Amino acid sequence: MIELNDIVVSYRTERGSINAVDGVNLEIPDGCIVGIAGESGCGKSTLMRAIYGDILSPMSLSSGTIEYGFNDRNGEPVTSENVRNEWFRTLSYIPQSSMNSMNPVIRIREQFIDFPGTDPNKKRVLEQVREYIGKLGLPVEALDSFPHQLSGGMRQRMMIALATFFQPNLIIADEPTTALDVVVQKEILLLLMELQEQMGNTILIVSHDMGVHYQVTHKMLIMYAAKAAEYGDSDSVFDEPLHPYTKMLIGSLPTIGEDRARHGIPGSPPSLWGDLQGCRFAERCPLATGLCRSQEPPLVEHKPGHFAACHFAGADLPDTGGAGWQ
Amino acid sequence: MGVVTFIAKRIALYFAVLFIGLSITFALPRFMPVNPIDGYIGELQSRASATIAPEGLAELRKSLEELYGLQGSVFEQYLAYMKRVVIDFDFGPSYTYFPHPVSSMLAEALPWTMGLLMTATVIAWCLGNTVGLVAGYFYKKRAASILEFVGILLYPIPYYILAISVLMIFAYIFPIFPLSATFPVGALTLDKAGTILFNSLLPGLALVLAGFGWNILSMKALAIATSEEPYVTFARLKGTTHRTRMIRYVFRNALLPQVTALALSLGVIFNGALLTEIIFSYPGIGLIMRQAASGGDYNVLYGAITVSIIAVATAGLLIDLAYPLLDPRIRHK
Ligand SMILES: Nc1ncnc2c1ncn2[C@@H]1O[C@H](COP(=O)(O)OP(=O)(O)O)[C@@H](O)[C@H]1O
Ligand SMILES: [Mg+2]
Repeated sequence: MIELNDIVVSYRTERGSINAVDGVNLEIPDGCIVGIAGESGCGKSTLMRAIYGDILSPMSLSSGTIEYGFNDRNGEPVTSENVRNEWFRTLSYIPQSSMNSMNPVIRIREQFIDFPGTDPNKKRVLEQVREYIGKLGLPVEALDSFPHQLSGGMRQRMMIALATFFQPNLIIADEPTTALDVVVQKEILLLLMELQEQMGNTILIVSHDMGVHYQVTHKMLIMYAAKAAEYGDSDSVFDEPLHPYTKMLIGSLPTIGEDRARHGIPGSPPSLWGDLQGCRFAERCPLATGLCRSQEPPLVEHKPGHFAACHFAGADLPDTGGAGWQ
Repeated sequence: MGVVTFIAKRIALYFAVLFIGLSITFALPRFMPVNPIDGYIGELQSRASATIAPEGLAELRKSLEELYGLQGSVFEQYLAYMKRVVIDFDFGPSYTYFPHPVSSMLAEALPWTMGLLMTATVIAWCLGNTVGLVAGYFYKKRAASILEFVGILLYPIPYYILAISVLMIFAYIFPIFPLSATFPVGALTLDKAGTILFNSLLPGLALVLAGFGWNILSMKALAIATSEEPYVTFARLKGTTHRTRMIRYVFRNALLPQVTALALSLGVIFNGALLTEIIFSYPGIGLIMRQAASGGDYNVLYGAITVSIIAVATAGLLIDLAYPLLDPRIRHK
């Protein structure tokens, strides 16, 4: 189980410091796919970088702790201090753009063996890589290619192979399919799900596409303005969303057979620079009252395993048939 | 485009460039207001106090025209010129060292110039790129800006000041090297080679210092830009070492434009030859060109120009042909 204990991640800038992740408390059980959704700029990537341990200036983990719940090669528990030594060993990362994430001038197989990994004998590793690529049903020749010779989908499959090769306990994927077309996107997600089922590891997958989350995830985290708005089992979150923001996110999805264009949520999130009082969603929330504007709602467990940070969690939205949001 | 087509096209372009260059060297003297033969005859006349009979003059003119390929129509001259230059590599005799052929003068001087300038250019390139890479890759570190400072300091100094300063410091203030070096000619012995090498160190140093600064600055800028590429970030997230990232990721990618720059600077080494060879009395093409320019020795001048055209075009060709080896995106198009 991965535990995030009230973590605050800030960026130091010339204008001062902002908290891009502002007090997130989560328990992520082992072996599940967690989807992370929310508008652009709400802190998804920042949270992923913090968990991955990629904390570089101007970013810092200002407070809180991360417990990974798994051990490194020496049997010591992985912590925020030593997590960097575990990169591509017990935890790995799938980048957004496979197009630009591979070195254009060296062969793909070289990019599988140029980091410490688990075995200093690179030749042996390469043999194992070939075997693994074959097992995944990917063409072994792709390993001998240069990145530009492969299609976007094949490159991203190779990325996934790279990230899963060492059977990590945790995989972080920040918008892994955003740059791909829908058909390829689906194949990539299926590959990822299949691998997760075999290895039983934990995957954190960021996407702004609720459709992707619906297909893939076991658990959902909805973020809003640096905070967790809702967290719970995906079935429960999609069937009975508690937070008005989640309802509106799901409501903004086009449904098959429905002749209604996808519409966004009116308004925009508050600036993280400003004075953040009360519920951060209040400005855009149809249910907001004086209480919401003055008191910040904590993330509370409303149903077993289903958390939301809202004073009126579960309350129905005024029925506008969607038209009100156009 | 296949590799074969690429190479064929590139070689065709090479010959086209050479052809145009040679044609221009042919046309150039023929646009000049003074006829070198008139000049030569005039000089003879004044020396001989105007006692040459008109028949004798016509005879002389005819034989000179024959000697310098100025007979017949311009088109005939052009064909004869092309045939001479391309097939025999013959630029006629030198005026000053008549009848010593220009081609053998150039052939003697060429190894000197090429040896010194190519070595210095390549050393400056290697050193400059190494320093620039480290300065660019670690650009956030304070120590890296000291490295860059070397480039900022050296780059704007005009070459002649740099060369004279080097000469002053290492031959006059600290007399380690001779002020006016002599370079032994004739058959090469081990002893002579040692002297040549030692006396070449000073002009070499001046050239390296001159070329070094630019390489540092441009490599640094390229290395910074490349370090921000997503593939370098991802390499970091894979847990690769700084060394791996700096060399295999940043350097290998930033190298490509620098190779083009190297080709261009190898092509124009003759520009540097003139000053270097005068200041350090180094017996190369530059020195010959200066003598030819002051003595009106046209054949030598055009021969030297032709050689530099061939050098520039060949350097460009070689680098372009080597480029696919460095960049798989060109190789496998
Ligand atoms: N390097 C940085 N310096 C300063 N602020 C940053 C930096 N990176 C991200 N931020 C800010 O942090 C917030 C969250 O960013 P991010 O985690 O990238 O959001 P998301 O991935 O959800 O789109 C944004 O408001 C963004 O402006
Ligand atoms: Mg992001």
